[in-house]
Amino acid sequence: MSGYDRALSVFSPDGHVFQVEYAMEAVKRGTCAVGVKGKDIVVLGCEKRSALKLQDTRITPSKIALVDDHVCLAFAGLNADARILIDKARLEAQSHRLTVEDPVTIEYITKYIASVQQRYTQSGGVRPFGISTLVVGFDKNDGTPRLYQTEPSGIYSAWKANAIGRSSKTVREFLERNHQEDMDREQTIQLTIKSLLEVVQTGAKNIEVAIMAPGQRVEMLPDDQIEAYVKSIETEKQEEAAKKKTARGSTTTAAILTRPGGGESTD
Amino acid sequence: MLVYPASFLNMDFVLLGITGKDFVIVAASKAIMRGPTIIKAEDDKTRALNNHTLMAFSGEAGDTVQFAEYIQANIQLYTMRNDTELSTPAVGNFIRGELARSLRSRSPYTVNLLLGGVDPATEKPHLYWIDYLASLAPVPYAAHGYAQYYCLSLLDKHHNPNIDLEEGMKLLGMCTDELKRRLPIDYKGVLVKVITKDGVREVDFDNDKVVRSA
Amino acid sequence: MDKLVAQYSRPQHQNESYSEQEQQDLTESLPPLSLKFSLPPVDNRASFLRAMTDDHSNPSCPIKLAHGTTTLAFRFQGGIIVCTDSRATAGNWIASQTVKKVIPVSRLSRGEDKPSNDPTPGLLGTMAGGAADCQYWLRYLSQQCTLHEIRHKRRITVAAASKILANLTYAYKGYGLSMGTMLCGVTPQEGPALYYIDSDGTRLPGNLFCVGSGQTFAYGVLDSNYRYDLSVEEALALGRRAILAAMHRDAYSGGFINLYHVKEEGWVHHGFDDMNPIFWKTKLEQGEFSNVTSEL
Repeated sequence: MSGYDRALSVFSPDGHVFQVEYAMEAVKRGTCAVGVKGKDIVVLGCEKRSALKLQDTRITPSKIALVDDHVCLAFAGLNADARILIDKARLEAQSHRLTVEDPVTIEYITKYIASVQQRYTQSGGVRPFGISTLVVGFDKNDGTPRLYQTEPSGIYSAWKANAIGRSSKTVREFLERNHQEDMDREQTIQLTIKSLLEVVQTGAKNIEVAIMAPGQRVEMLPDDQIEAYVKSIETEKQEEAAKKKTARGSTTTAAILTRPGGGESTD
Repeated sequence: MLVYPASFLNMDFVLLGITGKDFVIVAASKAIMRGPTIIKAEDDKTRALNNHTLMAFSGEAGDTVQFAEYIQANIQLYTMRNDTELSTPAVGNFIRGELARSLRSRSPYTVNLLLGGVDPATEKPHLYWIDYLASLAPVPYAAHGYAQYYCLSLLDKHHNPNIDLEEGMKLLGMCTDELKRRLPIDYKGVLVKVITKDGVREVDFDNDKVVRSA
Repeated sequence: MDKLVAQYSRPQHQNESYSEQEQQDLTESLPPLSLKFSLPPVDNRASFLRAMTDDHSNPSCPIKLAHGTTTLAFRFQGGIIVCTDSRATAGNWIASQTVKKVIPVSRLSRGEDKPSNDPTPGLLGTMAGGAADCQYWLRYLSQQCTLHEIRHKRRITVAAASKILANLTYAYKGYGLSMGTMLCGVTPQEGPALYYIDSDGTRLPGNLFCVGSGQTFAYGVLDSNYRYDLSVEEALALGRRAILAAMHRDAYSGGFINLYHVKEEGWVHHGFDDMNPIFWKTKLEQGEFSNVTSEL
């Protein structure tokens, strides 16, 4: 034990703050969340943790939360930490409305969330938030979709499409290959679900999708519609695989994706 | 001892509320006065707290809007945190609590309120009369300021809980006519909002009618 | 006494780690919005202040604040016109005839009025009531607006700026602040915007406001000739004429007419002109002010 990973506000000799890096490890073990920007839409997709038999899924809290009418947030990492951070963000969103009349901009609330996360990396007696977040939405009177990410260290960044959590690297690479500029609503939702299916094997019942459009409230995509998307994606995949088979003979193309083990305690 | 501004219980404002079968009408005067001047004649002295609850306010300058927006923000925050729309009685009791707390603080809010709402499930109307001393009273019709002295007797005579919206608007017309006839100042007409199960909406109201004294 | 007991009865170990407040102070990235002032050690500060400074209720008060003003601002098709007089009075004494009661509120436009007609970006605030209060708090607002501009990479809206000021005056309600100010600006989000803010904590958006001891006189002229579709020339003339009316009738208003036009690209100064030639010109050429005689 080096001792440098104990107290939070102590650097290791080579310049690491270990607790922050451990927090990022907690994020990696959380279920995957994806955000994709289209032309005038932004979509969040989440992997839901598979429910136990007796769990009431209708009232189990979602990984997608509303920060204000026009701001939506998805996270990966420790569920309980997220609750606290989301609550702080909601309070700030209302407080901002109260003090300057206008609703928060997406960048502002992202910056606020990131600064809260940063604060918990630089003072004594606290532990960093074990979550990364994707913040999406539209500014008031503005049709530009926004997508930001925050990390436990307090870094925030803007994206066209991004993934956080378990296997986020796989998903991000998928998004890098398949993202196009100016996607319409259908394409954006499709890409979101498709990218999630790269790592979610159980299909529609373990995915949730939130859609935001300018000047509108968040729309949670109903389960049957998600299922329809998943089905069409799967048949498309099968057709493609069949085509490849006939073209190239019988080489196996569909590699079975392996999930990194562990992480069952996180969400 | 608390000293309230002499201007507080005066003719500067009119607030009226009338319930009926499945609606609440809330009317608030449009003028804002400072000394000898009407500095604004198209003011909206109401704030919607959620889809089906509306609050009208009057009282000390500054306090009114500050308090209303504070309540509005907290109701919205509660809704967001708990994913639940608060009922009108719940909102009313919350406001009463806040006023009671404020009353015993160093600088109390000097604000009088009417709170109207319709339960979207039962379609039952609710109207609360709230004053700066944190009284909360559910009532079928209500008024604040000097309007009380003219309108309550009138409403006592003509109101019944089963009226429809048209009759309600007619009643409101009787009230504003009487105020025009007897109140010595011009409050620049009223802004009228109606709450039904479908939400809050502003309705047209003829403020230009000339009323002759009897 | 309570405080003293509390201080000595605090457990020893309490100072060992960071208190909640200390942590907050250490990590707070933004300064608190309102500043802290030392206050006079008396029970009722507001009435103490009034006794010391309010020459209306106490003509022999030791400190006479600069008061008495006419200011006006109105929105029209071509932007916003802002016009003020320039007199400051302390009791019956005219303290100054050359006060600049229009205060630019922005990092970019703070500084001296430029003679050129290039528009200067930023908001304008007007000053009525206590001169010191207005100058101090508008300067404070200016600082907040600049910080907003730096943090958010865009100019603050007039709605937000006016709310900062109104929250401030509301927080100091009852402490004896005296100000009635109008904030004007044109932003891409709002278009031309005009807000009235006073020391009661009132904040109102509107088309037309007059503030100060001469407000009634200015309203008289302005209301009767105001239309939204006024041309820029007409609007400037109306603003000037309304202030002239107030300077003529109100003993606490006078000096020079200070005229501004706020438009999309920023504000333009349209002169700081002695009222007297303008008055006589108006009387002799337009035939107005017929109660004043020009003959000996």
